[in-house]
Amino acid sequence: MSFWEAFLPKIFEGWVLTVEILVPSIPLGVILAIVLALARIYGNKPISLLAAGIVSLIRGLPLIVTLFIIFFALPKLAIYFSPYWSAVLGFILCTGAYQSEYVRGAIQSIDVGQSLAAQALGMSKLKEVVHIILPQALRRSLPGIANEIIYLILYSSLASYVGNQEIFAWARHFNSLYFRPIEIFLTAGLIYISMATVATTGFKIIENKLRIPGLEVAR
Amino acid sequence: MSNEDVVLKVENVHKSYGNNKVLTGVSFEVRRAEIKIICGPSGSGKSTLLRCLNLLTQPDKGHVWLEGEEVTDPTTDISKVRQKIGFVFQEFNLFNHLNALRNVSIGLEVVKGMKKDEARKIALRELGKVGLEEHAHKYPAELSGGQKQRVAIARALAMNPVIMFYDEPTSALDPQLIGEVLDVMKKLAKEKLTSLVVTHEMGFAQSVGDEMMFMIDGKILERGTPLQVIQNPKHKITKLFFEHIAKLYMRQVR
Repeated sequence: MSFWEAFLPKIFEGWVLTVEILVPSIPLGVILAIVLALARIYGNKPISLLAAGIVSLIRGLPLIVTLFIIFFALPKLAIYFSPYWSAVLGFILCTGAYQSEYVRGAIQSIDVGQSLAAQALGMSKLKEVVHIILPQALRRSLPGIANEIIYLILYSSLASYVGNQEIFAWARHFNSLYFRPIEIFLTAGLIYISMATVATTGFKIIENKLRIPGLEVAR
Repeated sequence: MSNEDVVLKVENVHKSYGNNKVLTGVSFEVRRAEIKIICGPSGSGKSTLLRCLNLLTQPDKGHVWLEGEEVTDPTTDISKVRQKIGFVFQEFNLFNHLNALRNVSIGLEVVKGMKKDEARKIALRELGKVGLEEHAHKYPAELSGGQKQRVAIARALAMNPVIMFYDEPTSALDPQLIGEVLDVMKKLAKEKLTSLVVTHEMGFAQSVGDEMMFMIDGKILERGTPLQVIQNPKHKITKLFFEHIAKLYMRQVR
């Protein structure tokens, strides 16, 4: 069996696992980001501090350390996660914490007048946030969220260090067998670039779809 | 409440921010179909007063009743009270992500729980009243200041309020756009929609105002018909204020 015949099916298998890791991580990361941002802004003192603490903690740790804590350290406290769920959990926490800062900034950028107008109509805080604040804040945080999701796609390669046979794990495996780093890592790189490109294009389409008429930036 | 003709009753309202006393005991009543004007120099507490009346700002002391229900009673459902007060802001405060029609219908849909179709039918009717039917699908950023303020008025009207609060509705507008907003307000006043209007538009005050209250330092200094207060004020400071306004607006107060 030639190198390519052995390598390509396995790298494809790795790509499938990468996608399987990303599919729950991306939307749940966005949801966590929204929850953290709302908790920090609208939560009472303890909730706000808790959310701020989570964000500081996660942003203070290298992702690889977070993953190792989840996969290697937590079992010592009798909390067990499979390789797959260790990666998914680590990625949700990491991307959620970073994205939450974009969402928080965007919420704070919505002028307080709209908030007053919503209250004056008789909206509860929840209705105001759901119908007035978030639709605008999420639009404004979209470029930042897209940025973080592209990062997430790329650092999903770290999942290999907690036992996931995804793209990068197979690439390293084949490199140690065949030592053909140019072909192997270029192929892996090409797959990551393709995924990032798809994400970029997807976000461009979403951004265009959600564009609010009249709010274009003057060029 | 004894008199059912009293829509709004305000009693001894106080508000301070730290050492800054913004309202120092304001009391008045607004009767049904009455158009009450509030004016006074900036910093005299006019906007804070309006906001204390629907608890956008919590007053420190005093009581407010709307149609006999105590607004300032902590057990009152403030959302219900606010639905009955149409609030028009100086800076319009339209919802930027919604077109004119949705700006007007969202309160009906989200607050009153109306079906979309029904809410939008009413919204279109209200936009018609302010002359903006043909702009229903435009977004706030595509509208002029005067059009924005008319949408904001339609948004307030759609909730079918028992009283309108206007907080300097024309102060953020270019002079040539003020007229279209005042025309709508005059029309509503003539239809006997009870209103509390903070404004420096003396022409408007004199043509539709029933009573004018002049505020300074968080208090109502004097009150009377707009004609009396503007042309024959009891206090020197009131006189100076209106002379100053007249100069600024480059119009004579006859």
